[in-house]
Amino acid sequence: MHRTAIAARTLAGILSASLIGLFVLPVVALFLYAGGSGLAFAAGDPGFRTALEFTLLASALAVGLGLLTGVPLGYVLARYRFPGRGVLESVVTIPVVIPHLVVGIGLLLLFAPNSPVGRFTAALGIPIFDAVWGVVLVMLYVGASYVVLTSQLAFRSVDEEVLEAARSLGAGPGEAFATVTLPAAARGILTGALLMWARGVSEVGGFLILAYAVYPTPPWNGPVTDAASVWIYNYWGIDPTAAVGASALLVLVALAIFLVVRLLDRTGFAWARGGFFS
Amino acid sequence: MSLLEVVDLRADRGSFRLGPVRLEVPPGSATVLLGPSGAGKTTLLRAIAGSLPLAGGSVRLDGAAVEALPVERRRFGFVPPNLGLFPQRRVRDNVRYPLALAGAPDAAAKAANWIERFGLTDLRDRYPHELSSGQRQRVAMARALAAEPRALLWDEPLAALDVESRDVLVRLLRDLLETERLPLLLVTHDPTTAFALASRVVVLDSGTVRRDCTPEALARGPLDRFVARFLGYENLYSASELARAEGASLAPRLIAAAGPGGLVVPPEAVRWRPGPEGPHAAQVAALRWTAAGWVVALRHGSLTFHVATPGATPGVRIGDRVGIDVEPAELKPLTGVPSNGSP
Repeated sequence: MHRTAIAARTLAGILSASLIGLFVLPVVALFLYAGGSGLAFAAGDPGFRTALEFTLLASALAVGLGLLTGVPLGYVLARYRFPGRGVLESVVTIPVVIPHLVVGIGLLLLFAPNSPVGRFTAALGIPIFDAVWGVVLVMLYVGASYVVLTSQLAFRSVDEEVLEAARSLGAGPGEAFATVTLPAAARGILTGALLMWARGVSEVGGFLILAYAVYPTPPWNGPVTDAASVWIYNYWGIDPTAAVGASALLVLVALAIFLVVRLLDRTGFAWARGGFFS
Repeated sequence: MSLLEVVDLRADRGSFRLGPVRLEVPPGSATVLLGPSGAGKTTLLRAIAGSLPLAGGSVRLDGAAVEALPVERRRFGFVPPNLGLFPQRRVRDNVRYPLALAGAPDAAAKAANWIERFGLTDLRDRYPHELSSGQRQRVAMARALAAEPRALLWDEPLAALDVESRDVLVRLLRDLLETERLPLLLVTHDPTTAFALASRVVVLDSGTVRRDCTPEALARGPLDRFVARFLGYENLYSASELARAEGASLAPRLIAAAGPGGLVVPPEAVRWRPGPEGPHAAQVAALRWTAAGWVVALRHGSLTFHVATPGATPGVRIGDRVGIDVEPAELKPLTGVPSNGSP
């Protein structure tokens, strides 16, 4: 091999390894510092366990709402040409570029208890400020873009001819969507949901403003708590060891969820793999 | 058993205008759509299938207009150019799909029957990406037939197949036409397929029907450039090419025989002999072996004639000079304008 090529490959290898190291080493440091005892402490701490349970509930609600609203929007952006589509695509990416503390402030201004919108949602039994729906709203804001963008890509990649064939084989528009489009786009949508979930769970800035403490409001009927990330942030100043243990546990939970979803994707979802009518 | 009729069909796709197109495919017969790229063949199939709205005209099955029906209720077995197989479904699930949609109680058994008829039983658990081109074509055909269609619309069903796979499928299609008695309208660029299957040939160009005739009538002429190419003629010359020919003593005779679109010089029209030169001379420019024998490229001034020689050896070498002549009665003039309505 030419010397220049060897040098270029070596340099590319070093640069790539540096970035991979940057990704992995902090996590390794976290687990090394926490150790088994730190993890056990976090797992046994009632305050953190409550915060973790709350976060899983809120993130599940947020991802559900994200899928409900983001998948249709992704479909529309992928399949239809209309005036203003480019503007709409830009709007979808706004949450990715706005600092999330700013997101919290914006949402607070809109949903503050004494604001018209805040009073309206409270009257509907959906309080936002310092409530589970505030956390859900922040998670939705910071993460739903991923569902929209990945769904859009997934729907765009579904071959028109496959749909055409399905229709000529007797499938109505709804049946063709359910039996062909959705299964073909399922993996992309799933990826978007995972990204949204991960983004929501890792959020701090928006929660600090809109839902620093979460008071019991349905569907959260537990004690007063925080989002797990806020709990860790609070404890970092009081008890760094507890914060590190909780962080490591949160990483483990996230990895476990990723693993379960990926396993399901590999082995399950029969409907998406041709067994729809089985 | 249905009669498919297309009556003055018109459809628009962007700036492209198709039609009016009028054709008829009786039950149990195949009509082949021919035409250069962009002629409107696929657009016509899509318009008939219902994927594309009509700008006018009618599509009829046994005399009943179907253009107002949505795609799924027309019951056309439409196979698009890239087959449209469901990538996430195994072969058996692809074939079972229309039966399951229709709620057929014995969907699995019926699907298995079609899978067997198309020789796919051993492949039933594979995904489309695990199949060869020919196998995928068979899956698409089996699936289209499993839907119990009233007519078949197939776009290049035998494209990209090796000769053996194509012959197997042609035989299968002929059997199906006989047993199922369905009308089949198919697009192909392959003359072997066209002549083996078709009872009618429709040539489309720029969205309109230029010829609607039997395959025999197509071969007999009149020829235009596209049809001549489709039939496999190599020696095609435009009128201007003949007029500009340099160093070709045969050019005046060729010009005299040419039509508005130019001239085809069939290989059998070229008389040539190695060795002593006659009044017209040529030089061997290239030699090519085909299954039918040797093809010799003879350069006559700026014109090149490809001629076949059946011998085991071509009898000449590249660079040899030969005597050459053409038989005027066997030359085929090319039309430059549409020639409709041949029988």
